[in-house]
Amino acid sequence: MLIVNNSDPHKSKSGYRLIAHSADLGFRLYGESLADIFVNAAHALYGVMTDRRKIRGLECREVVVEAPDVGDLLVEWLNQLLYLFDATGFLGRDIEVQEITSQRLQARLRGEPLDEERHQLNTGIKAATYHNLEFKETADGWQAKIILDI
Amino acid sequence: MKSKPADIQLRRLDDYRWEVPQTGKMRTRGLIYATRDMLPDIRSDQSIQQVANVATLPGIEGASMAMPDIHWGYGFPIGGVAAFNLTEGVISPGGVGYDINCGVRLLRSNLSRPEAEPILEDLVNALFRNIPSGLGSRRKDLKLTTPMLRQVLRLGAAWAVKNGFGTADDLLHIEAGGQIPGADADLVSDKALDRGHDQLGTLGSGNHFVEVGYVQEIFDEAIAHAFGLFPQQITVIIHTGSRGLGHQVCDDYIKIMMKAAAKYNIELADRQLCCAPITSPEGEQYLAAMAAAANFAFANRQLITHWVRESFEQVWPAGPRALGLELIYDVAHNMAKIETHTINQVTQKVCVHRKGATRAFAPHHPEVPEAYREVGQPVLIPGDMGRYSYVLVGTPQAMVETFGSTCHGAGRLLSRHQALKAAKGRSILQELAAKGIVVRGASRGTIAEEIPEAYKDVDNVVEVVEGAGISRKVAKLHPLGVIKG
Repeated sequence: MLIVNNSDPHKSKSGYRLIAHSADLGFRLYGESLADIFVNAAHALYGVMTDRRKIRGLECREVVVEAPDVGDLLVEWLNQLLYLFDATGFLGRDIEVQEITSQRLQARLRGEPLDEERHQLNTGIKAATYHNLEFKETADGWQAKIILDI
Repeated sequence: MKSKPADIQLRRLDDYRWEVPQTGKMRTRGLIYATRDMLPDIRSDQSIQQVANVATLPGIEGASMAMPDIHWGYGFPIGGVAAFNLTEGVISPGGVGYDINCGVRLLRSNLSRPEAEPILEDLVNALFRNIPSGLGSRRKDLKLTTPMLRQVLRLGAAWAVKNGFGTADDLLHIEAGGQIPGADADLVSDKALDRGHDQLGTLGSGNHFVEVGYVQEIFDEAIAHAFGLFPQQITVIIHTGSRGLGHQVCDDYIKIMMKAAAKYNIELADRQLCCAPITSPEGEQYLAAMAAAANFAFANRQLITHWVRESFEQVWPAGPRALGLELIYDVAHNMAKIETHTINQVTQKVCVHRKGATRAFAPHHPEVPEAYREVGQPVLIPGDMGRYSYVLVGTPQAMVETFGSTCHGAGRLLSRHQALKAAKGRSILQELAAKGIVVRGASRGTIAEEIPEAYKDVDNVVEVVEGAGISRKVAKLHPLGVIKG
């Protein structure tokens, strides 16, 4: 397993790490709150697809997802963001969770549609999967693991 | 995901076959095609456990199989082949994969390598210009209305031909004629349609590519002749699938199948094995939606073929007839199909799941195109962009043993992250150019992720399927120019 630190989870208790495996990719997510997990997952997703620093906050999108439990809600959330990207090219920069329960998430994203002139294109992601999905509350907050098909 | 050595004991059957003995809740044995040298690598992930997990599903016929390019997948392993009877058997989106009807097609030409080499760079540039590739690639010149898209889902490659992209002859050289019957666009969600509107005729990213190559070696002259292949001949391989539309269909139906598995009391060793009886409403609906996505993929490869032909014509002014860019075959490697097979001397219909495995039908099978009926179905096995790819042919042994299936590719050796690290500070484009291979990619990152050493040597994979007798080598193709996503 290879690990890339995008923020130090031990210091901030919130962030994500990439998990790399021969044909796949995953995220290990850390959050002080449940909402943090979903925000970090979105940043991780966009970070794999492009250089996030180049995304401008020009447009807003509202996203509501529902699922039977909080792990499935994470899968649903990332797949909804992939749908938004495929259907409209939208890449998110600022992610704000407005309401969250273990079965429903309402969020507002600020970002812009893909602009091939300005945005670096990296790895395409087919889907977030349920494989070895983990979601748990810890002494420091929350932790999750999700695997993507690329 | 985490690498954990599998402790499942394998029983050696011969040089190329390893049995996963039937234990616990397995309803049948597992059968892995590999050499002893491949086993440590196969054991490094959970794929052997996944072969065993598939064997626990209801109605499985024959063994739960894995081809030599086996690696860890979602639920079913990549390289997995499993057939289920229609009485109690199941259909599972996890046995097909997210990229429904990801597949490969091969074109031949009248050009020889010395003729093509002077125009190679221009040709690759033309291909790169004419075929959108990479993350989020879409066509600005072809955005389908919903009624048009629904026709694509029903008609597949025939839609493309009807609209001037290709010839009726192309359709004779595609698995299932490029149109899986029973496709129902009403069972494809609006979200999936949204994702498909401007992605038809695009390559996408990851390991998808268009590759111009030449015939480097011929192993069976008679069969190569039947496929229209000759030494030094220029060929084109197209590798892509159903894009976001297919991914969405898979995602939609995994959720439906999770509920269905509970409803029909199917015990799952892994959630991603979720499935429903083939004859249940959920099973039939998935098959019809999967067929629709598969038809989108056939149309996608057909459109790309059209732009490949156009690109050649732009740089080679002799006209289409002189170029002779004809389709040899188009074959899927992520699909579930209802097929007729003989099991223990009884001929019956089964649903064959091939996930990262290719259909490889024998000579005289009615589904083999007439032109190849005497020799068998062409099978296309792409390798990495720096080495070679293979043309194989289906055999009677495959019909007996693997429901007419074989391997699908080389399989990754390095993670994308490891590949990026290995490529750091190097110019991959220059390295490949030094080997006479022109590469254009939408992203430098993707090219680095796809460096040749990130893949296993496809030679080893092909050696196993030939050694086991489930396909035979016909020709080896060497790359000259590649466009990557």
